Amino acid sequence: MTSPEEIRRRIESALPGAEVQVADTTGAGDHFEVRVRAAAFAGKTLIEQHQMIYGVLGTLMPEIHALSLRTAAA
Amino acid sequence: MADVLDEIAREVQDNKVVIYMKGTPSFPMCGFSAATVQVLREVGVPFKAIDVLAEPEKREAIKRFSNWPTIPQVYVGGKLIGGCDIVREMHARGELAPLLRAAVGG
Repeated sequence: MTSPEEIRRRIESALPGAEVQVADTTGAGDHFEVRVRAAAFAGKTLIEQHQMIYGVLGTLMPEIHALSLRTAAA
Repeated sequence: MADVLDEIAREVQDNKVVIYMKGTPSFPMCGFSAATVQVLREVGVPFKAIDVLAEPEKREAIKRFSNWPTIPQVYVGGKLIGGCDIVREMHARGELAPLLRAAVGG
């Protein structure tokens, strides 16, 4: 089971200054809604932005059943 | 695995719009797949759907194919454009329909 804090910590340490919101939508630690606003997203396509987040979450991804992701450049 | 990756490469080249999903457009087995099919239907372009539950060897292969860890995945003109969240956001911004229509018409 993954905690929302773990997800937020990973994203914040990879993307310093990012605004990160994580909600555990079922309370079971495997369905999450993640919102990220980061300067590092500037000039990147949505798919590149999402790929950056997937890359950061890395080893957590197989434990996460569903991840709804919304990203925006700061 | 290499054979499956080759087959996927052919599928996304031979069809202008392809969705890899759980279940079928009529009977989606996952809320994200259902929502993505609904957006494609709203745009109204023909698309090919591949059910990774019916073809389990593709379920893992498709994640490796584009280094993208989730399903559904939508391909347009041979390239991954995204999963449910991106497709919905592009649709909300009015960017999806022109992209799909250009691919189908071209």
